[in-house]
Amino acid sequence: MSDEIRTSKLDELRVVHQPLARHDAAEKIAGSTRFAGDLAYTGMLHARLVRSVVPSARLTRRDVTAARQVPGVVAVLLGEDVPNNEISVDVPGQTIAVGALKARMQILATERVRFHGEPIALVIAETEDALAEACEAVEVELEELPVISEPAQALAEGAFEVHEGGNLLAEWRIDRGDVDDAFARADLVIEGEYTTQFVDHAYLEPEAGVAWYDDDGVMNIRVATQVVEHFRDVAKILGVPDSKVRVIAPYVGGGFGGKEDMTVEPYLALAVAHTRRPVRMQWTRNESLLARAKRHRNQMTYRTAAREDGAILAQDITIVSDAGAYAYLSALVLLYSSVHACGPYRVGAARIRATTAYTNNPPTSAFRGFGGMQVVLGYESQMDELAKRLHLDPGEVRKRNALRRGDRLPVGQEIITEVQLAETIDAVRERAGERPEPSGPRRAVGRAIASNMQSYGRLVWLNDSAAAWIGFQMDGSLTVRCAVPDIGGGQASSLAQIASEVLAADMDRITVHFGDSALNPLAGTTTATRQLLMSGNAAYEAAVMLRDQILGAVADETGHPLESLAITPEGITSPGGVTSLTDALHLCRRRNVPIEALGTFFGPKGTEVTRDLEGDRLFPDFTFGTHLADVEVDLDTGQVTVLRYIASHDVGRAINPLSVEGQIAGAAVQGIGQALLEEIVMQDGVNLTGGFFQYLIPTAMDVPDIETIVLESGEGLGPFGARGIGEPPIGPPLAAISSAIADAVGARPTTLPITPERVLECVERGVIRDEP
Amino acid sequence: MSTIERRDLATTTLTVNGRRVTREAGGHMTLLRWLRDEAGVVDPKYGCGEGVCGACTVLVDGEPASACIVLAAQCEGAEVTTAAGLTGDDGALSSLQESFHRHHAAQCGFCTPGMLMCASAMLADGRSRSRDEIREELHGNLCRCTGYQHIVDAIEDAQGARR
Amino acid sequence: MFVKPFRYERASSLAAAAHALRAAGGGAKILAGGQSLLPMMNLGLLDLDAMIDVSHVNEARGVTEEDGYLRIGALTRHHELLADPLVATRQPLLAAAARWVGSARVRTRGTLGGSLAHSDPAAELPLAMTALGATYDVTDGATTRIVRADEFHVSYFTADLADDELIASVQVPTLGPGWGWGFQEVSRRPGDFAIVAAAALVRLGGGEIVESRLALAGVSERPRRLGAIESAVTGARAADLAERITAIEGIDPVTDTSATAGHRHHLARVLSIRALTDACRRAEETA
Repeated sequence: MSDEIRTSKLDELRVVHQPLARHDAAEKIAGSTRFAGDLAYTGMLHARLVRSVVPSARLTRRDVTAARQVPGVVAVLLGEDVPNNEISVDVPGQTIAVGALKARMQILATERVRFHGEPIALVIAETEDALAEACEAVEVELEELPVISEPAQALAEGAFEVHEGGNLLAEWRIDRGDVDDAFARADLVIEGEYTTQFVDHAYLEPEAGVAWYDDDGVMNIRVATQVVEHFRDVAKILGVPDSKVRVIAPYVGGGFGGKEDMTVEPYLALAVAHTRRPVRMQWTRNESLLARAKRHRNQMTYRTAAREDGAILAQDITIVSDAGAYAYLSALVLLYSSVHACGPYRVGAARIRATTAYTNNPPTSAFRGFGGMQVVLGYESQMDELAKRLHLDPGEVRKRNALRRGDRLPVGQEIITEVQLAETIDAVRERAGERPEPSGPRRAVGRAIASNMQSYGRLVWLNDSAAAWIGFQMDGSLTVRCAVPDIGGGQASSLAQIASEVLAADMDRITVHFGDSALNPLAGTTTATRQLLMSGNAAYEAAVMLRDQILGAVADETGHPLESLAITPEGITSPGGVTSLTDALHLCRRRNVPIEALGTFFGPKGTEVTRDLEGDRLFPDFTFGTHLADVEVDLDTGQVTVLRYIASHDVGRAINPLSVEGQIAGAAVQGIGQALLEEIVMQDGVNLTGGFFQYLIPTAMDVPDIETIVLESGEGLGPFGARGIGEPPIGPPLAAISSAIADAVGARPTTLPITPERVLECVERGVIRDEP
Repeated sequence: MSTIERRDLATTTLTVNGRRVTREAGGHMTLLRWLRDEAGVVDPKYGCGEGVCGACTVLVDGEPASACIVLAAQCEGAEVTTAAGLTGDDGALSSLQESFHRHHAAQCGFCTPGMLMCASAMLADGRSRSRDEIREELHGNLCRCTGYQHIVDAIEDAQGARR
Repeated sequence: MFVKPFRYERASSLAAAAHALRAAGGGAKILAGGQSLLPMMNLGLLDLDAMIDVSHVNEARGVTEEDGYLRIGALTRHHELLADPLVATRQPLLAAAARWVGSARVRTRGTLGGSLAHSDPAAELPLAMTALGATYDVTDGATTRIVRADEFHVSYFTADLADDELIASVQVPTLGPGWGWGFQEVSRRPGDFAIVAAAALVRLGGGEIVESRLALAGVSERPRRLGAIESAVTGARAADLAERITAIEGIDPVTDTSATAGHRHHLARVLSIRALTDACRRAEETA
């Protein structure tokens, strides 16, 4: 597939920008990579959770006597056995009016369960086989309580309280300009209601880990995670100092935000602390689908005021999200939805009201896109409607409204880098060419584009930072140490590429030690599309410092000015000739110049927001893009075939073009899955989705080749001008697919997933266009 | 009346990636668990336990099977090949694996061993498949990271190289 | 994953397997391909003393033709069925149905007898057998009884099969001269369980349907022959089918996570029309 890369600023780069095979890929392909569940230790025990089978209940009896008698069982733990059984999450920006909430959660429930699957007991046994019988032998009696299954129900007067203090978890408000005046002046007002569903990360690797005490009494947890900093949470739960817990992240079999919160860590730690033996925990796919935090179900109401030339005068938006049984990151996710709600467009005035409420559904938390992607369905469906009703070209009307450098989002954030939205629109349309013809009678073809913006880097008031250590070995090979977890996006190998570029080191002679909270400088979470910005920049700084140290030493030794020296693959070049790298390193030793450096990159700063969101910088920056979809609809069965899919994003600089294309393709397919196939089906708080035979993710036959057109403006804040690309491509498919179906059948789907039944409803509502 | 062999524990011998392994384990053990926990071969992965995701795909006497829904004892005497078995003893990648590497067909790498075995079975029959046919054969192997494209590229390339 | 241990026993004949089932007194199940049974095991839905493996039994395999019938051994694997030239030429409807079963891995191990005994009302092979008027030879090792497909499949995952019985072989009528066939299925993704599937056979006379057989899967607790539709389309030409088939009666589809009852009803009509249309086309082609 000839995927294009268009570069605006040409630099002489040696390895950055090369489509190098990633250094970890060979081991993965050789089948030798050891994922979290692949290691076994002598004397290792196995642990499994007993979970609630109902969504809302008081626990009246928990009896583990029989379970303890099952042959092979070593221990059965309850909440009372946990040193600190409660963890809390800050809910930022909420005023006293909402409640100075510190959202709390138990590791093992003692009095109440609030969702189907909530952990109640931890069973530890010599073999996996013993666990099946032992878990069944744990006796739990529950007194069922009312079930809250929707935010509307949760927020109604007198509603049953999922948590003490009421079901409202968080609210955000954005106000800009005079919205009512804009609506009064508008030539056209478009109203739409859009609903997205509970989605599961469905990584191929279910949650897993192994833990043990090392020779120094440090709790070691080797776990599939995106965040090694959870060692602090585990330490708190165990009641030990932070320095006594170490989290190791091996290569992770997919994260997407689902391994951002703790999963097996607290249970492994408890089991090891109690038994003093190594313990392994592997969740089943059923458990993962049942109990792991999901993507928020969003209900979004959009009112868009427009002028007849297509300019958007105002947006009036309401977002209600389902926070599930526990807060996790729901307030922050909703903040992202609020800030991103109007999309990559200039909006004269805006009023955004966002609410998230507790229910007895599974907890909802981080998932690629983090609230910024569901709103794409809202703002792009509205934009598509706008274009149709005003008989304007969908690309032109988007370009007309597109943000430019210097513009501000409704929340006040200024766009400080170049926006190549128009270029991405042109790119996908040019590539697409003519619309295809339907393959037969009773088939209709539709085409649509969808643009988006998605932040990269964390919210600025979170004081984000990352550190990386780079050091030469005496033989000229290079070691990079950085606790960045690698979840398949090339997080670790990007650091090698950056180090190689700056230090002219051979990629084959660079080793990256990553993902270890004790042995590597901390780099923060592999989330929020932040690692290239944060650890990438930290590695860049360390590399530059190291280079300057070595060049400085050579300059002092030889008397040549520093500016005349350069580090190249052949060695240190100077007007006087070439000094080999190994000679230069020995020279540094003689002159007491370190041959290693620690670089720390601090993210941009800002003040914490309040419920009335406002600020000229909330996020470091954004990535912009446009996708195009061609679909064919079977008008009798409602089945949809994606004929063609093209995606274009400005990535600033593609550190590794193959990696960038892979991220875009993978995210687009995940988005298509949410658009057409995926749903965690809940019925009165009961999760009906028990396995991959029910939770349907796209297979190789459900998607075409994803054609990618990568633009490189060089304007990103990451190393070499890169922007983040992990999350941005997951949003547009929701709207590209739904608008393409609308184009095919004449009526718009507004609820996801767009099942064949929903398509048939649209077919009924719409007017089938006569084919030209 | 024909005879039935009764065992409480099953002693199973399989040739795994060329190595004869004999283990006594519960008769209820799936081939996947047996390979991972008894034979120490951990590249086939547990992804779903339903035979749907394909992460546990191995070749049993040359035919692809979901190891999670086959009992080890059922396979007594068989030759089992996993992705690690495609790799040479010196760590050298096979030409199929090289193609995966070249085409960036692995991101997180968890589905990769199963994908390789599916691809291996495809290439073994000598047929030349179109991209659509490759996708059809692959539909029982799920991937959440790559969007499948680079995997299809890798198999198409390996197909061409095979000639 | 977390499975309560059970005994593995390997049977060297169907009779021995039946004997073992009897000895286990209801605590054992037959393991043939395992493609339906073992997922249930992994989900923790089974509580067994033993599994009796018949996958190495040498009898009950393969396809032979007798007078107007194909006799197919119950242990014939789906991919063997697909590759068999007798099936392809003498009863292509069966081959068409087998093509829709699961993925390549499922078809490599799964067996005809296993699929039929599992009796999933949305499965392709019980549907095909019902449409074709097939019969099953059911044995307890000592005696064999012959059961019609439409009597064998009783309800959801429930068959007319005692605890100590196995299917030994299946007798499938061959496609007679002048007959055409059609098989249609809708699933959410290729290879998934059918939401609805339709199997149709027609014989034309002067371009009109003289005789037909139509059955649906996924619309009831078992595959349903639609006698009323068969009557309604007698005398029709392919182009008239949509008119003749207004609503499908006598079905009671459920709502589940894949589809609503209403959608299944809708698909029942659409697929019936499509399957019969294809059958008419093929009947024309052979004429």
